[in-house]
Amino acid sequence: MSTPAVALRCQALVKRFADTIAVDHLDLTVPTGTIFGLLGPNGSGKTSAIRTMLGIYVPDAGSVEVLGSSDPMAVRHRIGYLPEERGLYAKMKVIDQLAFLASIRGLDQKEATRRAGAWLERVGLADSAQSPTGELSKGMQQKVQFASAVIHDPDLVVLDEPFTGLDPVNTRLLKELILEQRKRGATVLLSTHLMEQVEALCESICLIDHGRAVLSGVLADIKASYGRNTIDLEYRGTAGALASVPGVRRCEDTGQEARLELEPDADAQAVIRSLLDRVEIQAVRLDHPHIEEIYLEKVGHRETAPDTTHAATA
Amino acid sequence: MNVTQIIKIARREFLARVRSRAFILMTIMVPAFMAAYMFVLPLLFSTTGTETLRVAVLDTGTDLADALADRLAEIDRPRIDVTERTLVPDDSDETRAPYSDAVRRETIDGYLVLVEDPVIVARARYYARETGNPPMLRALERAVESTILDRLLVDTGVDVAQVRALLRSDLGTTTISAEGEEEGGFEAAFFSTFALAMLLYMAVIINGQGMALAIVEEKSSRLIEVILGAVTATEFMTGKILGVLGSGLTQLAVWVGVALFGLVFVLPTLSVGAEIAGVDLASILSIELLVYFSILFTLGYFFYSILFATVAATCTSTEELSQALFAAMLPLIVALFATFYVLANPSTLATRVLSLLPPFTPLVMLARINVLPPPLWEVWLGIMLLVLGILVTGWLSAKIFRYALLMHGKRPTLPELLGVMRAS
Repeated sequence: MSTPAVALRCQALVKRFADTIAVDHLDLTVPTGTIFGLLGPNGSGKTSAIRTMLGIYVPDAGSVEVLGSSDPMAVRHRIGYLPEERGLYAKMKVIDQLAFLASIRGLDQKEATRRAGAWLERVGLADSAQSPTGELSKGMQQKVQFASAVIHDPDLVVLDEPFTGLDPVNTRLLKELILEQRKRGATVLLSTHLMEQVEALCESICLIDHGRAVLSGVLADIKASYGRNTIDLEYRGTAGALASVPGVRRCEDTGQEARLELEPDADAQAVIRSLLDRVEIQAVRLDHPHIEEIYLEKVGHRETAPDTTHAATA
Repeated sequence: MNVTQIIKIARREFLARVRSRAFILMTIMVPAFMAAYMFVLPLLFSTTGTETLRVAVLDTGTDLADALADRLAEIDRPRIDVTERTLVPDDSDETRAPYSDAVRRETIDGYLVLVEDPVIVARARYYARETGNPPMLRALERAVESTILDRLLVDTGVDVAQVRALLRSDLGTTTISAEGEEEGGFEAAFFSTFALAMLLYMAVIINGQGMALAIVEEKSSRLIEVILGAVTATEFMTGKILGVLGSGLTQLAVWVGVALFGLVFVLPTLSVGAEIAGVDLASILSIELLVYFSILFTLGYFFYSILFATVAATCTSTEELSQALFAAMLPLIVALFATFYVLANPSTLATRVLSLLPPFTPLVMLARINVLPPPLWEVWLGIMLLVLGILVTGWLSAKIFRYALLMHGKRPTLPELLGVMRAS
């Protein structure tokens, strides 16, 4: 089995529903062996894009190439998919359920059952193997679902909002499991709007809004392209002392700490000098913007202003 | 289509159905009810609540009280104890009051009042706590009839014994078919047709509904996305239907097994059951009928499973499903009622046409075969059309399935579905 350099690529992908365009000429390249973040606000078309790329929806235009094949269904046994809204057979025993989901992905019954047992052990649910799945808590079911998505050691793992509803302990476990997948050599496509996880896990990202890619590339490159345009500050001083510093576009001030986003053409050193006149600086650091800040800059209008496109057509 | 994938889906569906509470309950309950219907009910009807019935005979002047008492004494199930024979002036409420009181106090079970009649000499009315037991009432009626007949025929030279024998005789029936003549005909045919029709009807409803519900659950829980990432929609649908077919046939096998066991081993030991139910083993279980039943059951089951699965695929919630399923069940219900018409009119044009329409063929053709065997070509034409119906329905529903399964939030409209059928 040859391993192409690109695990997943789509070009000018379009998916329309009756009166909306869910995926709008989307270009995406996921390099093999990386963790790729698909970001975007709610309703931006992440899930539709994933479904179209995986062949669950038939695209209206454009092309998809998954694991070297233009037909996702042809390589479906090499893909592991965890959909956003999840369900399992409530009455089926946990172990039977995992074994069934593994077997339809091409494992024989014996191997499927063996791996199901091993995975339950790995996610700490060995004691619940014989329980009906419906009796498990939501977080436990989510772990079962993650296990079902990767139990057949797929080359491409697609996780749609995998962290939703997990407690900190399980969030950490899931992060470990995702990193394990990459270590194994798999490519992971991670759709999420939890920016900390993106920052911690993803090498490359694609930020989509209204079905279009508004930003994509290697995360480090993206951040570098913004330059060190942010000042992290620990200070002592009076409230409001940091208001309207020249050259600062936006200021997040908690009273002892502040994060200052600079105007594009501002001189960082000059700004720091002017800060010295206003407050007593404890610590200062020039930083790249967080992915969250880039995200908010790119799609922030969606969170603050009501969607005007619909109002105009209504 | 990948056969191993279909088998995996079918296996899961089969196990889920067979292990479900509804399946286990119905698999046990149906034979239990059948047994109750065949053995217990006849036993209940054959004996009355009270072993001996205490009856008073009141005569308003017909002079038939003694004769009636003699006739009543001849009845042996239930035994009738005539507590008194009394001449009363009339049958007014006041006259009857003390006897009605006695009935209420349960010192007697009932009383008969004889009243003169200008045409038929006398009429009788039975007053009692319990008037709903048909065999008992028929026995009383025959006693009264017989008493009055004796009086009417006296001095006419007609043999009273002959007339009595005539009254007790029934119209015997024999069915003539291509294969020969068969006694008993209608009753046995009615019984077996109804039983077989009910078997098919119930098996489809129970298992088909379970499957439809499972599909809607898979859809609303989005499990379907995971499964459709691994198997195609056609493989999924085929697997589901085969799984349900398997569970239906398993259920049927249990039922038939229990029925055979009952008929062969239990029924003969209960002479009363056999006599009352009027079951003639040979006439119910001809090999030919069983072969046709197996074919029609399997095909009919297939047809309706596809229908149920397709309807379920278009629904987004269980509430929607229960409404939509009724539409899919309607032809089956119509077919069930049609069998009653067919039993009475086995050779009309309407019957012949109905038996060739795929949704009705399983039940209607079965009824025809059972009551008045149609020409062989008609039977096989019906079966071929049913197979064709299954293929066409399956082909259409495979198209709808893929489209409708992944739709959430709203049900596809009929024009949308027609569009899907035309496309691809």
